Amino acid sequence: MAETAALAYSRRFFFLYDSSKVQEEEDRTREGIYYFSPEDTPVDQQELLCGQLAGVCRCVSEMSSSPVRLLRLRKSKYAVRMKDSFLWALSCVVDIPDVSVCDLLDQLIALFCFYNGPVRQSYQLYSKEDLALRWARYLCHLQGGSTELHNIFSCVRTIDSTHIDPLLLLKAALILQACQRCPLVLAGCILYRGRVVSTQMTPALTMKVMVYETQTYSQDFRVTANGLSSSVGSPSSFTATTQVFLTPTELYMLRCHPVDRACRSHCSQPPCQPSKSRFLSRTLSDTPTTDTDSSSLDCPPVSYQTMPSSPRSSLSDEPYFSPIPSRVNTPLHSNLMNQSEYFTPDSHDHGTLNGTNLCAVKESLAGLNIKQDTDASSGSETKSEGLNSDQDTQSDEIKALANGYEQSNCLDNHSDHDNQIQNEENKLDANNHVANKNGKFQGETEEEARTKSKQVEGRLKEKYEPRNTPSPHETLADTSLVPSVLYQHRVRGLVLALLVEPEFNTDPTAREEVHHSSMASLNGLEAHLRNTSPGTPGPPGPYTFAHYDCIQNTLTTNVCGRSAGPQEAFVRATKLLHSHFSHLDTLQEAIVRLGSAVYGTRSMAQETYFLQQGTPVRNSGSPDPQDSAFSLPRKARQRLLKHGVNLL
Amino acid sequence: MKCLLLANESAEVLFYWTDTEFEQRVQEQYGVSQEEGERLPAFEDSINTLFAPIIISCSTMVDRLGDNYTSFSTENNHIYVLHQFEECLYIAVNGDGDETEEDLKRKIFVMKKLTEIMFGMVTFSGALLRKELRPQDTEQRNRLWKKLRSLLETYSRLRENDQSFLVEAVERLIHPTLCEQCIEFLERRLVQQINSNMDRMGEEVLHAFILVHTKLLAFYSSRNASNLYSSDLLALIILVQDLYPSKINLDETSEMAEDSLQTLEAPTPDPSAPSRVFLESKECPMPHSMYCLPLWPGITLVLLTKIPNSHVATSVCYFLEAFVKLEKRLCEGHEGAAAMRGQPSVQEQRSRLEKLIKTWAGMDIQVSGQQNFKNKAFSRSGSGFTRDLLPSCRNMKTQLCGVYRQFFAAECMGSSQRLAPHLQERALSMVQEKLMDWKDFLLVKSKRNITMEFPGLIHFIYVDRSNGQMIAPSLNVTDRTVSELGKGPLADFIKKKVWSLVATAQRYLQKGYATLTLRDGDYFYCYFLWFENETGYKLEVIDIPSSPDDGAPVGMLTCDYYRKLLRYYSKKHQNEVVKCYELFTVHLGVIPNEYILQHCSQLARKLWEPTRIPLL
Repeated sequence: MAETAALAYSRRFFFLYDSSKVQEEEDRTREGIYYFSPEDTPVDQQELLCGQLAGVCRCVSEMSSSPVRLLRLRKSKYAVRMKDSFLWALSCVVDIPDVSVCDLLDQLIALFCFYNGPVRQSYQLYSKEDLALRWARYLCHLQGGSTELHNIFSCVRTIDSTHIDPLLLLKAALILQACQRCPLVLAGCILYRGRVVSTQMTPALTMKVMVYETQTYSQDFRVTANGLSSSVGSPSSFTATTQVFLTPTELYMLRCHPVDRACRSHCSQPPCQPSKSRFLSRTLSDTPTTDTDSSSLDCPPVSYQTMPSSPRSSLSDEPYFSPIPSRVNTPLHSNLMNQSEYFTPDSHDHGTLNGTNLCAVKESLAGLNIKQDTDASSGSETKSEGLNSDQDTQSDEIKALANGYEQSNCLDNHSDHDNQIQNEENKLDANNHVANKNGKFQGETEEEARTKSKQVEGRLKEKYEPRNTPSPHETLADTSLVPSVLYQHRVRGLVLALLVEPEFNTDPTAREEVHHSSMASLNGLEAHLRNTSPGTPGPPGPYTFAHYDCIQNTLTTNVCGRSAGPQEAFVRATKLLHSHFSHLDTLQEAIVRLGSAVYGTRSMAQETYFLQQGTPVRNSGSPDPQDSAFSLPRKARQRLLKHGVNLL
Repeated sequence: MKCLLLANESAEVLFYWTDTEFEQRVQEQYGVSQEEGERLPAFEDSINTLFAPIIISCSTMVDRLGDNYTSFSTENNHIYVLHQFEECLYIAVNGDGDETEEDLKRKIFVMKKLTEIMFGMVTFSGALLRKELRPQDTEQRNRLWKKLRSLLETYSRLRENDQSFLVEAVERLIHPTLCEQCIEFLERRLVQQINSNMDRMGEEVLHAFILVHTKLLAFYSSRNASNLYSSDLLALIILVQDLYPSKINLDETSEMAEDSLQTLEAPTPDPSAPSRVFLESKECPMPHSMYCLPLWPGITLVLLTKIPNSHVATSVCYFLEAFVKLEKRLCEGHEGAAAMRGQPSVQEQRSRLEKLIKTWAGMDIQVSGQQNFKNKAFSRSGSGFTRDLLPSCRNMKTQLCGVYRQFFAAECMGSSQRLAPHLQERALSMVQEKLMDWKDFLLVKSKRNITMEFPGLIHFIYVDRSNGQMIAPSLNVTDRTVSELGKGPLADFIKKKVWSLVATAQRYLQKGYATLTLRDGDYFYCYFLWFENETGYKLEVIDIPSSPDDGAPVGMLTCDYYRKLLRYYSKKHQNEVVKCYELFTVHLGVIPNEYILQHCSQLARKLWEPTRIPLL
């Protein structure tokens, strides 16, 4: 018995268990199992694992008054998240660093919430089977790193920039910037064949967006399981939107992005140079602009009128615009209301009937999209079209309303409005109270502030605190997620993905503007990328290295595929050192030797690992200044320069 | 917030230790009544309730998945470490950040070592160990648990403050002349005199040594004594420190002082009564009597004697091993002759066993169940060597452990078995006389054992793993006298760094990494492990196998990692004696690497000499 069970037991497990479903004696453990991977695990084994692990975790967390984070067994270990009655557990082999497996689990949960909203709510709306498909997809996406190292660092896959004309990267960045001229666009990224070409989002968000990309890339986009709301054009080029959920921090980061909104669309002047934080962007153009474009000052702040759902305004105007208070629902305040209302079928009717509450209408439309899609098991395209035309007629109405409302609101008191925004932002981030008001210093100070806060964050990072997901608690907290929309424009292997305000769906002008402004450039970029030969990788060189950029969350390495021999030794040492670095903030560099020596060095921004190949000179391991192991730092500095890694 | 717990498979607590913080927390959580007198059992109950779900889940995991929990950590960084030894589950908890997962694991293994030292082979049988650790009599149990708790606290104190317990190697006082004189004295005068005296009650001094605090001044083993392993010597130092805590550690913290005071308040009821200790030998844990004779505060003479009938242990062990092997093979599904493979012929063993049982019967020691086993295994009607034999095979194991216990457990020996008190007193005064002029020097020397001048070098520890000894400058941060580093925050800071360097190096060594350098903050740390032959010629490095995560921690006190490592290396160098050395150094980070490495290599060369001082 034990042997057969142990055989199957060597696999990697992931499960989501709800202990509130198993309260009474007669309740079967399987009732509490929401998802279990691998799905072909015998049910009794699933029950055994879930029951035992949930039991001990509960016991331990009660004793320590704190949720269990990591559970180790002799042959495997589990990253654990506990929230309310939910327990997520993800297993891996013992030699994967703790920090990696914990990160992976947090990313997995964050991914699920990004596409499906709060977990409890998702399970009220959809069947276990539907959601199982999604969990499986996210799991597959996250574990599908090209090498073991990619999984250890859980990094974003990027195109190999060494084989690409830098002008193409610049072009991609410009496309993204052009899209941002539409005020409803928050941030975007451009992906090519599952790899990032350019992104304006945080690595964590980019990673989330990429799942959708790979999903639509690999499947017929007509069969949608995830709220693909519309698709136009030929299969080689189409656009689609889907509802997604952002954490308040994510949304705040996107909104406070110092893109000068004043210079956005409807503004005839040339686009201002958006001075984005370097830490958030991979675009080439993001070098900090020292000369603040005077045009940014000239741009009248009228465009605040189109600033999406300014939260305060809807709140202050509540008595006039919202006969049903519960419908007052803006992204930032959505936690005030029960989110399941987005998904109630009647919300659409209410919205259109009232016609007065702009936000409610828009969001309920967004909600409807999802509903429509899950209903559409076949012929979704026709249904989607129907929906679109429906939307179009409604959206004219909404736009009229919106314009009227917004104009009346902003013509009177700009300053008041500014203050409101500022207040809002102050509330969200007490440290970073520089608002958009003062255009002149904004870029600089914000950048400074963010750099600082980033550093502080880095230092304060808890042992097991994930490095990619902003705050797991935020994702886990059911109430705090804010609906948003992910817009995607695909041209063969190339995808432009934009996070947009929910209103984008109902604003044909905005859609058209974005579509048209990027269409030609995307086609051009795609053609160029397609014709760029992947580049024959040069001779691997007499060394192995891995360079991890902690800020951009990217990995450069010459370790490929299945590691064996010296590469295996390299990966082994890297795992240990990465784990060590993650536990000890003050550790700067290390040399470790088992057979061959591996050198690891890190700073706030990067971790680099280096192994010199070739038979090591005979040595005794006793202290010896002639020992070649100690010349590794020098060699690494020399060798890695040509890979763009500067260790000086 | 700390706790250590031993439980058996039926979730019965065999022993627990908690600090006051943990106790308070449990009481808060469970609202345990704090009434005088009732307090103890009530708290024990709540501890039991608290851990029962974990203990039960452990058995389920083992039975159904063939795997077991090794640790939990929570978001507020509480750590739970679990380890199962046979039928006994150990759980160690830390909730104050003082200990890492490794520390807790080590604590568990040390606790295991201490039970082995105290109960020997009895620990092989879950049922007997339960009896031993959880006596029916409450008072007796309280006394035993108090002793175990005190030992555990003594260990924790040493581990936290004493470098020799950090690296788990014995530190020697470096004074070759005095050392040699003392050894000669122990051999020619002391041991010879005791062993030729009629009042020794059949005991024979095998080892004698003098400790200055935790440091070894001189060690003598008689010719017919078997080797005393460093792991045992370290464990014995814990016992000695528990009986006579060094003043160095007394003014640590008020809590510590309190703990030690408790020990002082309740001295052993009978000062001349020896402690029973079971020491490793090639064959099995051999029973010895240990006499601790305090010469002066901080200086102790320790005698280890062989007790009458100790040869019985060897034969019990021989059969115990045979039954353990048989059980294992039967469990694996081997039957008939295959089950007995690799052992002397069945008939031979059978007759040996019968002979032995007859002898024991003459000594009034019964072995029940032997007939049952014989009938099943050997008779025609019996099933022979099949799985059906398993229960009686296990029963035999328990019986043998029982015999061992009857012979050697301290309380079974009778209080009269000891070296006559006047003999002990004589030994004490002889050594006092000998060392009278040296005592103050020794006490100072123990705090300033070695100094080393290399610019930029902050600290080092040099360990000879072949003889389990270490040399390092003192780091007495809590002592009134000033150590090489002075005292105060810097010394404390360096101490923390040294402690973490050793922990880190051990973690890497467990994975097979024998060379390590780290740049951490303003300091540069090195760790080297290498092998030499007897003449000091450095042997070529080998790939050290990586140990499993759930294995014993690297050290000597716990499962003697280095002994195994030396054995592994010796297989490749069968023609020479292989020695193993370690060097840990802490340098200022501003010193260029090449100088640091030069220091290390010079240091290793210089320190090689002192370790040559003869011990025997």
